[in-house]
Amino acid sequence: MDSLGFLLSGFETALTWQNLVFCLVGVTVGMLVGVLPGLGPSAGTAVLIPLTFALEPISAIVMLSGIYYGAMYGGTITSVLINTPGEASSVITCLDGHPMAKQGRAGTALGISAIGSFIGGTFSILGLVLVGPPLANMALKFGPPEFFALMLLGMTMVIGLIGKSIIKGMMAAVFGLILALVGLDPVTGIPRFAFGQPYLMDGFDFVVIAMGLFGLSEILISAEQNLKAEKPPKVKGLLPSREEWMPSLKSIGRGTGLGFLIGLIPGTNSVIPPILSYSLEKKIAKDPSRFGKGAIEGVAGPETANNSFCGGALIPLFTLGIPSSPTIAILLGAFIMHGLTPGPTLFKENPDFVWGVIASMFIGNLILLIMNLPMAGLWAKVTMIPFKLLFPIILMVLIAGTYTINNSLWDVGAMLVFGLIGYIFKKVDIPIAPIVLTFVLGALMENSLMQSLTIFEGDFFALFKRPLSGTLLVLSIVILLLSLIAGFRKKKDFLASDIDM
Amino acid sequence: MRKLKSFLLVMVMGLVLVGCASNQSSSKGSEKGSVKAEGYPKKAINVIVAYEAGGGTDAGARIMLPYVEKALGVPVNIINKPGGGGWIGWSELANAKPDGYTIGYINTPNFMTGYLDPKFNRKENLESFTPIANHVTDPGAIAIRTDEDRFSNIEELVEYAKKHRLTATSTGVGSDDHYASLKLNDQLGTKFEAVQNKGSAESVTAVLGGHVDVLFANVGELTSLHKEGKIKIIGVMGEEKSPFLADVPTLAESGFEVFSWSARGLAAPKGIDPGQLKILQDAFEKGIKNKEQVEKMGKLGLEVNYLGGKDYVDLLKSDEAEVKKLGKLLGW
Repeated sequence: MDSLGFLLSGFETALTWQNLVFCLVGVTVGMLVGVLPGLGPSAGTAVLIPLTFALEPISAIVMLSGIYYGAMYGGTITSVLINTPGEASSVITCLDGHPMAKQGRAGTALGISAIGSFIGGTFSILGLVLVGPPLANMALKFGPPEFFALMLLGMTMVIGLIGKSIIKGMMAAVFGLILALVGLDPVTGIPRFAFGQPYLMDGFDFVVIAMGLFGLSEILISAEQNLKAEKPPKVKGLLPSREEWMPSLKSIGRGTGLGFLIGLIPGTNSVIPPILSYSLEKKIAKDPSRFGKGAIEGVAGPETANNSFCGGALIPLFTLGIPSSPTIAILLGAFIMHGLTPGPTLFKENPDFVWGVIASMFIGNLILLIMNLPMAGLWAKVTMIPFKLLFPIILMVLIAGTYTINNSLWDVGAMLVFGLIGYIFKKVDIPIAPIVLTFVLGALMENSLMQSLTIFEGDFFALFKRPLSGTLLVLSIVILLLSLIAGFRKKKDFLASDIDM
Repeated sequence: MRKLKSFLLVMVMGLVLVGCASNQSSSKGSEKGSVKAEGYPKKAINVIVAYEAGGGTDAGARIMLPYVEKALGVPVNIINKPGGGGWIGWSELANAKPDGYTIGYINTPNFMTGYLDPKFNRKENLESFTPIANHVTDPGAIAIRTDEDRFSNIEELVEYAKKHRLTATSTGVGSDDHYASLKLNDQLGTKFEAVQNKGSAESVTAVLGGHVDVLFANVGELTSLHKEGKIKIIGVMGEEKSPFLADVPTLAESGFEVFSWSARGLAAPKGIDPGQLKILQDAFEKGIKNKEQVEKMGKLGLEVNYLGGKDYVDLLKSDEAEVKKLGKLLGW
């Protein structure tokens, strides 16, 4: 238990007033970056790096990592309040968080995500301390074939997100896959569905799609309804009701584990764990029909998973010196610029630094919890704003937010088009959630499949010969078959477990 | 109350930071030159970076530009325009008004791939830009696992790869890593097969995990991993040894005349006034040669390599010729 001793001395470093202030600044900036749609943690961190040159390395890293995990807290807020993800990983929270807000339970949704985020964040940092290094080496065994198999397993989850009609659900899923195909072919470099437009060469930006499909379409649908009749709901308490505590905590527990494990695998991103957590929660729920109508588990699980992912994703950085996501790559740059090389020697040579930063993350998570719980009530009041004032504001936020992603008006246009598509899909009852899932997983799946095939010289069945990928592939096939059989057997139940989003 | 306070704190911090940035815009005597160049620059200059904020090019730009800001006496802003393999930003740069207030970073060889590959059918080419100065040259590096038992140095690797098919990492079709393995295949008859991915972090994990055989990347991306003993760099593809890797031979030293690098420098749109160009070139020469800047870049493993005027044009032309030659291998 050497680590615990080090950790205690780390707290000594982190609790100096100077580092506390930088921790506070970091998480606050992170929160803001998370709240503002379009501005993500990677841009936030990148812009601030040059400003940290004057600081002590430890203060600099404490602040920058604060932005990184603070953003995960902030992203929830806009998802719940205005159905627009403030940060890519909060997309799935729109599904149940926003309905909760419509029922006047925005405070509860934000409250449970703050609690879940805190638990997920704290446990994953504990994981980083206690079991990090051995797990990181195991995660390296996860190569392209295993990654493909994992993505395929994730794809089978799409069944859980499909709405009333299987046909319509599949239409949405395939639409998402087609969107994932836009851009350069990963192996030949040939542009696909780009129509000679340089803007389409790199494919669509996930956040652009999500803001249009969720945020804009929501405004269009609501604007169509009778505005006068719908009075803004009263804001109820911050905490879940007594019956909701147990299921919420269970979801939080599952979200913690899921996010942490996915964080370990290099090449994943923070969007995947929440989506998988949501699908998982829905699949194992006793009454899946509640999902999409304000089920608290649908908020608690995913919001925990993305914070837990954060801690897990730091393990490859600290132990191997490998960044597993874009934001972490920027953090890695910050480490190096301050004369520190992440990796095992860092633990040996600069234990004060490493453990100080780790301790600051515990403190940062606590600060975020303290900031978020009372603030949840304040934020929730946004739902009381009359629609005629709220809608133009949301529209402005959507447009400005989309523009800031790549400083591109093309993206704004794309967002508007996806808003219309989302509106039409909602009108004809095509669910939107599967589009997001297949879009995110599809691109990664294609990449890893093509890489595997290059490695295996085109032999597809070699994928089944590796123990890990073989197991995952067989598991996916079994899940698919079971779902099909279950579907045929008790058609009624199967169809009842659907959501409308 | 606490929320309000913390919010205010951030706002104040932000203002202070903005203040610091604009402090540097003290005035500076203008140079002699043409009419257009008189009093230039009068306002902030925008630098287009064709990659995302936080990427390698962006990080280097954010380190160097404050020094140019000092030399020019006006603020220099970074505008990130990512997408299209860099060509969203580069097209915008080529089509910007050549008034001296919009310049940008160009990255070889990805830049050349974008206009030489006939698939993209692009109007712009090297002539659409006026090169200002080169900032960084990052040589290619070849690395292997530390427990690799089939080969332990570059000679053994080449021998082995001539007889056996080996997989090699590449960060995309037409990236410098891709060209590097193609060049080896072309000139030495090795059988490297590129496994395409989305970035050098993926390359490293694929090799560390034993999924891909040989790691092709740049010195800047691998130096710290090499020093940590995670991987072993067995050759660099610059003309000279890398200052960060004194113990690693160049490929030429090992008897293989293969060179590969990625160079990042600045360019203005075609048609910029010569007087303005001169002012910019002088300012960038000062900024790029600044010792503190060189040191900071060195920490990132990036080798600052100032090339001004004709030298930079020559570098771009020779890089272009190399890519043209390789185009055949890619089926152009």
